[in-house]
Amino acid sequence: MTDNLLMEDVRGGKVEKLAILFERHHVTLFNYFLRLTGNRPISEDLVQEVFTRILKYRTTYRGEDRFAVWMYKIARNAHIDFLRRQKETVPLEDQFDEAQSADLIPEERVERQQEAALISRALKRLSPRKQEVILLSRFQNLKYREIAELMECPVGTVKGMVHRAVQELGDIYKQLSREACRHEM
Amino acid sequence: MKCEDIKERMPDFLTGDLDNKAKSEFDAHIARCSACGEELRQLSEIWTKLGVLPMEQPSPALRNRFYTMLEAYKEGFEAEKAAAVPKKKLSFSFGRIWPRRPAFQFAAALVFVVLGITAGYLLRNPQAQLSRLHQEVDSMRQIMAVSLLQQPSSSDRIQGASFSSQVKAPTAKTLDALLQTLDHDPNVNVRLAAVDALYLFSSYPAVKDRIVQSLTKQESPLVQVALIDLLVGIREQRAVEAFKALIQNEKLNPDVKEKAKLGIQQLSF
Repeated sequence: MTDNLLMEDVRGGKVEKLAILFERHHVTLFNYFLRLTGNRPISEDLVQEVFTRILKYRTTYRGEDRFAVWMYKIARNAHIDFLRRQKETVPLEDQFDEAQSADLIPEERVERQQEAALISRALKRLSPRKQEVILLSRFQNLKYREIAELMECPVGTVKGMVHRAVQELGDIYKQLSREACRHEM
Repeated sequence: MKCEDIKERMPDFLTGDLDNKAKSEFDAHIARCSACGEELRQLSEIWTKLGVLPMEQPSPALRNRFYTMLEAYKEGFEAEKAAAVPKKKLSFSFGRIWPRRPAFQFAAALVFVVLGITAGYLLRNPQAQLSRLHQEVDSMRQIMAVSLLQQPSSSDRIQGASFSSQVKAPTAKTLDALLQTLDHDPNVNVRLAAVDALYLFSSYPAVKDRIVQSLTKQESPLVQVALIDLLVGIREQRAVEAFKALIQNEKLNPDVKEKAKLGIQQLSF
């Protein structure tokens, strides 16, 4: 049964069908938030928030778009609300703990893990919007036109943003690699 | 094609969304333009590198929180629906049946008061409605448990076993999935989780039979001990023969042998 049909059932009152959608999507959604926030408990809270909102707004679902697009629209809003709340309570400089996470990587870890940590740090240095376009297109399997739909902007803007975001990510990654090499020496 | 056009298409190249015609034009340009070629190489390199980011698993608490939320929502939703439906029907029919003469209105009101008191007594118990809701959630839990028990990851299968232990009225399919896990799962921890879950359903005759049979199929001493404990715990007399057969096995772990001997004594009291 497709996601769209399941969500139509949920909209129609068979809310228990949401369990199947949860099982299909909660891990990828968790990873989406984890890569944006770098924090596991917060990411779990956000996943829970998304499914709570899906229930709350289930009657507004229109089956025209893929369910995943609608879900990530809700996920984006939940993340934006989270950032807003965080800015109100946490000083800006405390929201980026890259130096701390660098210290957590032991030297003996395998190259792949070091690379993953480095790319993750590089990703966090991008603006939230650039992070989103990379994560949505690279990991969440959303088409550019679907990302454009959920970000409410032209598809050309999304493609341009992906291009610039990947370029910038490459530059940051190179810079961090050089810093890591100097640190090792 | 100009360099500008090629740059615009680079994001499509990264996601593999160029059609055949566009792809051949794209490749032809990249082959002769070193600047675009270099830019594409750098973009592709970092795009590929993103693949090293691991897929993390959330804690089991997330799943529990979700199902608790869903159950609570469903109970509230169904109660709301049940309250809303009669109201609508009544408002629709009242205009048609309500008498116009005051004397009849008084009589009708009296009838409704009596009916109301009677219905109040009859419908006092909302348990029937709630139990139906519990049944539906229970059935969803079972679908999830069976699905998790078939996953390639052992941690998912352990989750499935612990999930099935929350089921109140297991179906034959759920019980069979647990018993199959007990007999055939390659991971000892998963089999132990299945033993724990089956303990809760040991009152089912089919489960008892299969657990006794499973004892002879197990090779891990940990699982053998867990099954002996289970069978002694539920005082299954037929297990005595299985324990005796187990003891005959020369390769049996000495601790398990002792445990089986003790089990025979405990069951013979």
